[in-house]
Amino acid sequence: MNKYFSTKMSIFVFAAPALLLFTVFCVYPLLPEIWMSLHKHDGFRSLGFVGLDNYADAFNNSSFWTAHRNTYLIVGISVLLGLPLSMALALFMDVQPPRLRRFFKSSAMFPAILSVTVVSQIWVAFYEPNWGLFNAILKSIGLSSWTHSWLTERRTVMPSIGLVFLWQYIGLNAMLFYTGIKTIPKMYYEAALIDGAKFVQVCMRITIPLLQDVIKYVLILSTLGSMAFYSHVRVMTAGGPGDVSRTVIYQMYYTAFDTSEFGKGTAIAVIFILECLLISFLIQRFVAKEKLEF
Amino acid sequence: MKYLSRAFWLLAGGTFLFPLYWMIAMSLKSKSEAYDNPFGVPRSWDWQNFSEALSKYPFFSYLENSLIYTLGTIALTLATGSMLAYCLSRMKWRFNAAALFYVSMGLIVPIEVVVIPLFQLIKLLHLKNSYLGLILPYSGFAMASCVLMLYAFLRSLPKELEEAACMDGANVYQTFFKIILPIVMPALVTQCVLLFMRIWNEFPLAFIIAAKDRFRPLTVGLLNFFVNVGVSDWGMIGAAMLLSSLPVIVVYLAGNEKIEQALTAGAILK
Repeated sequence: MNKYFSTKMSIFVFAAPALLLFTVFCVYPLLPEIWMSLHKHDGFRSLGFVGLDNYADAFNNSSFWTAHRNTYLIVGISVLLGLPLSMALALFMDVQPPRLRRFFKSSAMFPAILSVTVVSQIWVAFYEPNWGLFNAILKSIGLSSWTHSWLTERRTVMPSIGLVFLWQYIGLNAMLFYTGIKTIPKMYYEAALIDGAKFVQVCMRITIPLLQDVIKYVLILSTLGSMAFYSHVRVMTAGGPGDVSRTVIYQMYYTAFDTSEFGKGTAIAVIFILECLLISFLIQRFVAKEKLEF
Repeated sequence: MKYLSRAFWLLAGGTFLFPLYWMIAMSLKSKSEAYDNPFGVPRSWDWQNFSEALSKYPFFSYLENSLIYTLGTIALTLATGSMLAYCLSRMKWRFNAAALFYVSMGLIVPIEVVVIPLFQLIKLLHLKNSYLGLILPYSGFAMASCVLMLYAFLRSLPKELEEAACMDGANVYQTFFKIILPIVMPALVTQCVLLFMRIWNEFPLAFIIAAKDRFRPLTVGLLNFFVNVGVSDWGMIGAAMLLSSLPVIVVYLAGNEKIEQALTAGAILK
């Protein structure tokens, strides 16, 4: 059968279209990216080879470092705060009555299906300084001194945007964990409960260790997702005030499309690709190395 | 304690739904009520916001564009991706393992980092201001997860299916389209849902490539509308947001279970 099915012709017909699409639009752009990053480039043509000058410029630009701080703040929020919270939601969801669980499941995923533009604009209204939800609540409980102009003050802008991101994807991540929990055979729990284990012990000793594949998957997904954090910033603050809320991707867009320094923009992109590769390598290497079988 | 925990879950669930309520309430409020009573239930229902929004916001044009981008990408990715996945899982080819590894590299690079060279490439191919200018890169970037998932699915199918088809004199194309594809339909539906969610809400690339208003999808068009009306007329903004979200809300209500399965399928399949 193989001789009849796997002719050179049929392999070509089956493999070529997808490989061509993938190569041209996903892999090939990396080459001009590197080439452009070594040139002064205005978006239309190269204005000469400049070696590593674009990279030096990027490192000497304070916005570049602000952007890095912001991006890794978002990564930190979504990984260190978001994932444990999602896990807690998933673990407790498992022991709730079915009707409550169904309500929670369908509402928790809801923010993740809405478009970034809609979600961000809704939160712009919530953060509005005069009549927005947060200031209204603070005023009504007598904490007027705690009110802020959330999205225009240096200190509050990034945490405020981070909270939106957290809120939007925490339910989805909880669902991913919950689906993983459902695949663990029930007998493990029963055995533990007969031995008199408490809920917390069961979670720490049985559920979480057996979930490590799912945890790794969600960790990679949300790390890379928050590395590329851009759209919320574009809609909510456009990087402002000044460059205070720019992320790395935002800084890259800004440099290339707003100041027409395409060479410098691609230099930021190349540096950032290396960071993404390094981080996914570190996760692959150090998280959940031993495979547990059950 | 029991009631306390139930209250907590209702409250937590409510937090996720509150923006939906707020959008609906806002869209029914008059301009002045939007400021007096921004979070309460509307005192009187004012449908004017919708007609006003529709006159200033080319909703149907954006909707059509979003549909074309999304359906075009789904069709192209599933057609080419499933064929590659079949080739990698079944055909005797020297580079099977290499090709699989090559495609899976696509998972690591986020589309945002190659926006600049992609923009140049689309200009070079004269695809700027055409639907293909977004569909082709979307497809290229969706290929990795699509192929990996379908590959895992196809490998679990018994080989006897094709052997029987081969005995009956079917060629490889007939076998693939008439026998294999119908069997992997559940996986294709899952991919459909995942791609829909991903492309319908895609923002960063569309923001750059679809520069002409005529080609903007909803996500980008809506931002443009916000910028144009400013933050003065929240009733109308609410109406525009609700209109733009209706398609996904309808899809979500209709296929809640399917979407849940699809979104969580990746976590287990790994």
